[in-house]
Amino acid sequence: MKIYRIIAVIFVFGTFLSCDKDLPTGIRYDNYTFDNPDSKGGTWKPVLLASADQIAIPQPEDISSAAYKTELENIKNAIKEGDPANGYWGSNPILRWNEIARELAAKYNLTPAPNADGTYPAPNPAQPGVYPYFPFAHPPYTARALAYMSAAQFDGMIAAWHYKYKYNRPAPHLTDSAIRPLYDHGSLPSYPSDGAVIGAISREILSAMFPLEKEYLKSKSEELKKSLVASGVNAESDIIAGDSLGRGIAKIFLKRASTDGMSKAQTPKAVSDSIANAAFSKFGWQWTNMETPQRPVGIAPFYGKLKTWNIPDITTIRPLPPPHPNSEEFKKAADELVQIQNNLTHEQRKIANWWSDGLGTYTPPGHWNRFATDFIVKYKLNPIRSARVYAYMNMAIHDAGISCWDAKYYYHYPRPIQLIDQFKTILGTPNFPSYTSGHSTFSAAAAAVLTYMFPAEKNQVDQWAKEASDSRIYGGIHFRFDCEAGLLQGKKVADLCINEAVKDGAD
Amino acid sequence: MNISSIMHCRRTIATGCALVCLLASGVYAQTPADALLMKGKEICIAPFYTHDTWNKYWEGSLLRENQNIGQLTRNTYSLMLGYGITDRLNAFVNLPYIRTSASGGQMKGAKGIQDLSLALKYSFLLRESMGFQWNILGTVGYSVPVSSYLSDYMPFSLGLGTSEYSGRMILEARHKTNIYFRGTTGYMHRTTTRAERDYYYADKGYYTDIMDVPDALSIDAALGAFLFDHRLQLECYYLHQNSLSGDDIRRQNAPQPTNRMNFQSASLYARVYPELIKGWSIFANYGQVINGRNVGRSTMVTAGMTYQFFTKKQTL
Repeated sequence: MKIYRIIAVIFVFGTFLSCDKDLPTGIRYDNYTFDNPDSKGGTWKPVLLASADQIAIPQPEDISSAAYKTELENIKNAIKEGDPANGYWGSNPILRWNEIARELAAKYNLTPAPNADGTYPAPNPAQPGVYPYFPFAHPPYTARALAYMSAAQFDGMIAAWHYKYKYNRPAPHLTDSAIRPLYDHGSLPSYPSDGAVIGAISREILSAMFPLEKEYLKSKSEELKKSLVASGVNAESDIIAGDSLGRGIAKIFLKRASTDGMSKAQTPKAVSDSIANAAFSKFGWQWTNMETPQRPVGIAPFYGKLKTWNIPDITTIRPLPPPHPNSEEFKKAADELVQIQNNLTHEQRKIANWWSDGLGTYTPPGHWNRFATDFIVKYKLNPIRSARVYAYMNMAIHDAGISCWDAKYYYHYPRPIQLIDQFKTILGTPNFPSYTSGHSTFSAAAAAVLTYMFPAEKNQVDQWAKEASDSRIYGGIHFRFDCEAGLLQGKKVADLCINEAVKDGAD
Repeated sequence: MNISSIMHCRRTIATGCALVCLLASGVYAQTPADALLMKGKEICIAPFYTHDTWNKYWEGSLLRENQNIGQLTRNTYSLMLGYGITDRLNAFVNLPYIRTSASGGQMKGAKGIQDLSLALKYSFLLRESMGFQWNILGTVGYSVPVSSYLSDYMPFSLGLGTSEYSGRMILEARHKTNIYFRGTTGYMHRTTTRAERDYYYADKGYYTDIMDVPDALSIDAALGAFLFDHRLQLECYYLHQNSLSGDDIRRQNAPQPTNRMNFQSASLYARVYPELIKGWSIFANYGQVINGRNVGRSTMVTAGMTYQFFTKKQTL
């Protein structure tokens, strides 16, 4: 009886011990003050805007005006009522919007299920709510969504900074000392609200990219606007001007997006077959989807034809051909994969899984945005510097994707499971050709831009990129030559991007 | 020791095996905990094998095929030991080796030792009334992964990769005609499992490699009989187990340990005590998952044997 009681006590105690299941659903960071407000940020070179004042906003009321005084009273009341978001938006809301974008990518990164007759349906942007839902946020799709959002945010910050230092309206708490803001942005002028600019741009771009999320994104941006007032950072007129500026800038980017070639990237089967045939007659090989039932078209065959951000001529980046499947070089690469799968170590398995970023996740572009977010927090960047990191990194990632897809469908190289008999893998093989590795290209591009932005992190990000690249070999879904070519290709793309960044006036 | 108590013991071992199996990985269970106890100082050894296959699974509530899996096979080789600490308190240990594979697609299967399970069973009450022998028992169990298998590799993974604390209450009523009814309710508290990635989506994004594995509640009922002077036991068994939280497998996505895994299964169990060999029995079980959510529609066949003996200390 005594033993039984002891066991019972252990059992009950153990149950309570292991009840802590409060798992993080977002980044956690301490709010910080922007030491350097980058007062010249309004003179930096935008991505698409012809000039920082291309989108006009009205001159703000003077801080001594009755209207502004009423706004200050409203701020105090809002502070008393409390932040409706409970501190969620923090001192740098761009971080949250990046996180929201990653979340939507993960939510929509699902491949269509086959119909009962063995055919496959395709997402239709004209009917996003009919299964399969639009979009299928695969890595190229996500890379593009993040690039548009981030580049627009950066232009939005340049425009906001231009007006901030043109009108020089001090933060509310500097005018009325009774206001105690949750986040102290030092001497940064408050008109227009940079948070509202970021919110409006993010909402507009993401609503276009994820049309089924319009209501959710609206509620998020409305919450942010309320939160900016309730945390004592902005007056209502700061918010209204920021919101309108952000919408204007988003329009310019969405106009580019509507004609960048994405709507034609997912080709019909006939076009897809002719791309494969072209490769076969040129090289003597062609990639084939190995799923059952077979998917008729790979992911985004014409994505390589998309308008690039910083690559003047995509063919200059295209790598040399991969080895012929009859060659000794190929045999060596194939043997390596078989050897690895037969003797897979725990460490290799973990690396393969750690970087897999496959279906249902935020994809490799999302993974690198997470790293960028961590660095932005670590180095306490202000909103315009944060936007610059995301913008150049995501333009480079997007261009890397375009360049990689150009090579993938130009060479149309088969995957290991197609060329190696009876080959089994621990990762699912993606639905597009092998050469070059997307993970490697995305990662090398992202790592190079992060190195430019955070030089002290070079070793860390280079190691990550190499590991992300190797992970595909361990997973059994890429040959080593796919990965090595991808790393070089990504680096070349990033260099073109960095060439633009060094000229933008921020350094 | 009389023949009846030997039989009780033997039967306890086999169903004890199944019990531990159930504790370790509820979804792969076949037969229930029973209501019988070994005598003090009695030892039981039971090797058994389970062949579990499915070619359809429930993606959320949608029953579907997946030709990239084809038929999934899970072979489990278990060794269980039981020990009578006292006449009223028994202990069980079980350790399974599992191998999984798919007939379709190009994904590698998995193999290895799964979870070590420990269970204690205690009899609270044993009473005769109204022509029945009533028995109320409680069990507590604990299981823990003993190899570095990856739980986040479903449906190939060996198990859920979590520690599990479980408790069960068992009520058995046995008529003097040797027909019996048994009902059990159990609660399984699972802790968490560690994925090899630090972001996953389960209704929302999680920035951690720790996955919450839902707790589960089970109810089961058995109707059985001892026939031919206790040489044959037959039993029909129904099990209903539900997770108390968790997400659904998303359309055309892989399952993961955070899923809400519900199922109902029906089984037939037979056990024979060959007269020729003293202390031995053989048993077989056929089970079918008849409804579920985020689980395979498994057909399970188990076969095993038990050997039971007293330690030297106690002789009869």
